[in-house]
Amino acid sequence: MQRDTMFPPHRITGSRTVLSRTGPPHASAVASILIVLGVLALATLLPPAASAAPLGRAATGELLYYPCTSCHPLGLDGRPTGANPNDFEQHQIVLEAHDTLGEGSVACLACHDDPTRDPGRLRVVGAGFVEAGSDDVSLVCYQCHSAQYQEWQDGIHGREQSGCTAAGCHDPHTPAWIYGAPLPPFTGTGFEVRVVSNRVPFTPLAGPPAPAPVETPFWLAIASAVGVLLAVGLIGLMVRGRHAR
Amino acid sequence: MSTQSTQWAAPAPDTKRLIGIDWNIGGLLHAGPRFYAFISLLVTVIFLGLMAWGAFLFNGGGLMAMRDTYPWGLWFTNYMYYVGLSAGGLAVYASVHLFGAEQFRPLSRLAVLQAGVLVMMALLGIITDMERFWRAGWMLLTPNPTSPFVYTGSAANIYMIIAFVDLWILITGKGGEKLAMRMTLIALPFAVYLHTTTAFVLSLNKARELWNSAVMVPIFLTSATASGIALLMISAYIMQRFNVMRFKKSMFRSLSTLLATVIIIDLFLLGVEILSIFWPTSNHPGHSARMALFFEAPYGWVFIPVLILGVSAFALLAGRNRRHLPAVQLTAAAMYVVAIFLKRYTLMAMGFAIDPLGQFTAPYFPSLVEILIALMILAIGLLIMAVAAKILPLQVPDQEIEEHAHEHVKQRAEWAALDAEPQAAQASVTEAG
Repeated sequence: MQRDTMFPPHRITGSRTVLSRTGPPHASAVASILIVLGVLALATLLPPAASAAPLGRAATGELLYYPCTSCHPLGLDGRPTGANPNDFEQHQIVLEAHDTLGEGSVACLACHDDPTRDPGRLRVVGAGFVEAGSDDVSLVCYQCHSAQYQEWQDGIHGREQSGCTAAGCHDPHTPAWIYGAPLPPFTGTGFEVRVVSNRVPFTPLAGPPAPAPVETPFWLAIASAVGVLLAVGLIGLMVRGRHAR
Repeated sequence: MSTQSTQWAAPAPDTKRLIGIDWNIGGLLHAGPRFYAFISLLVTVIFLGLMAWGAFLFNGGGLMAMRDTYPWGLWFTNYMYYVGLSAGGLAVYASVHLFGAEQFRPLSRLAVLQAGVLVMMALLGIITDMERFWRAGWMLLTPNPTSPFVYTGSAANIYMIIAFVDLWILITGKGGEKLAMRMTLIALPFAVYLHTTTAFVLSLNKARELWNSAVMVPIFLTSATASGIALLMISAYIMQRFNVMRFKKSMFRSLSTLLATVIIIDLFLLGVEILSIFWPTSNHPGHSARMALFFEAPYGWVFIPVLILGVSAFALLAGRNRRHLPAVQLTAAAMYVVAIFLKRYTLMAMGFAIDPLGQFTAPYFPSLVEILIALMILAIGLLIMAVAAKILPLQVPDQEIEEHAHEHVKQRAEWAALDAEPQAAQASVTEAG
């Protein structure tokens, strides 16, 4: 009876096939397989599932844009080795304009003030810490640039575009540098352009490119020297003629 | 200077009539040794220039100091300069026919000849600048209408032709005053068109901040007219010195007054531009940083003399009690001709000193090849002027000058009578009353 309960006799509408209560349950198995395949097919249409690591971080947890292990390699125990074999001297991130936040590491700690020294966690006063790769990173900028933040909130800076956050367009360390296209923060594009507004003092990007040397054929230099001598003689003739006159 | 009119040479016996002009071949054949020494000097310079041009065509652009970051050098500077200088000729010539400035009539043939030759020199500079000049035809066959070069290039060609046709009309007298007047009406808009489009070549460059100014066009026009009048005055003195032409002192005085007026307008516009660039509450850092280069190293030595020479030239001519002195007139004219050349050099540097990417460009100094070719073009112009002074009847006949002077006086008397009529009528009404 229990078996009967589990497999109640039923008829598929429009089909001549009748499942008898004593027949093998292969139809149910096929249906199950089809359902699983359908779910898998639907799954391919969905966006990829978010990985465990936050955006802008590798699976190991380090920042993609500024990977710690490029200078601080890990040992076999998974902890950073003491030495810095990759010629690491100090953090070389250049601050322009943001250097007014303080001298040396004080400027860094104005934002990167996580007690665990995780550079990807940024301090927001009154809101704890936000992930550098998250959309909330704009809150860090808001603390000083409230007017620009409000403009961004109003959609003036293209808030509707994908990845258009403060750090998605501006290099947060030197905001005058603009990424080539808005991208999720700290994923890197490899291409930045410098925007010089009328309010920013103008400083050229680089020194002059060395121009190629000017070539002068030797024979032409000799001919010119002869020509100059001839011209001087003719001018002398004209001047002497003037006196005679 | 008018005392030299007694030395005015009688018409040479061996003249040849061609296209309605009496070509004084004898004047050329019987010229003195100094003239031939001068011609030999010019031919030497032209020969050196041709050698330099050949070397440049065979060896390529490496012989020039122009580079990607500074692509317009001495030749293009000269294009701007010569086109500008040609304006003075037309200003004087047009003022005779359009505004009845009869005192300038003796200058008219020289003015038109000078204008035509200068535009020809400007075009020669462009031909050398093109490097592969035989490709010039492509510009005519496939012009790019968004490029101002199409307009300035075509305007220069047409203007040169108009100037030489005008000279022919003035010398032969064909068509009389009416045709001369009509030619002026054609030439004047073309001259304005030429100078405006030449300035547009610079001012329409959005990426070159100091060029991209609407004031560029009027500044170009006033600089051109002032330097052109100054050069015309120098040419007139030279022609008078060598007994080719003769002028009244009053003509030079009127020319000096005109020159002083145009100089002060030119300096005013330049001052306005500099003030707008540096005004502390409205300046653009990109503008002021670029312009600052022209008041210190590396371009201060070229630009500051422009201001000093310009102001000094005006100061010399401003005094009414010394404006009539030939030494003062010549000094002021020479100062302004030099000032505008320096101004044209700095004009190029203003666009290239810092490129649109913000990179400094090394200051440009022309190479030997560029200098030789530029001197060749100058020598060709001087050669044409020297030969023309000998064989062309540049002196406007006294009879023609007197005729028009009488007409002018008559017309002024008629105008005076028109002015007097209402007064007389009012007087009669008063009497009747």
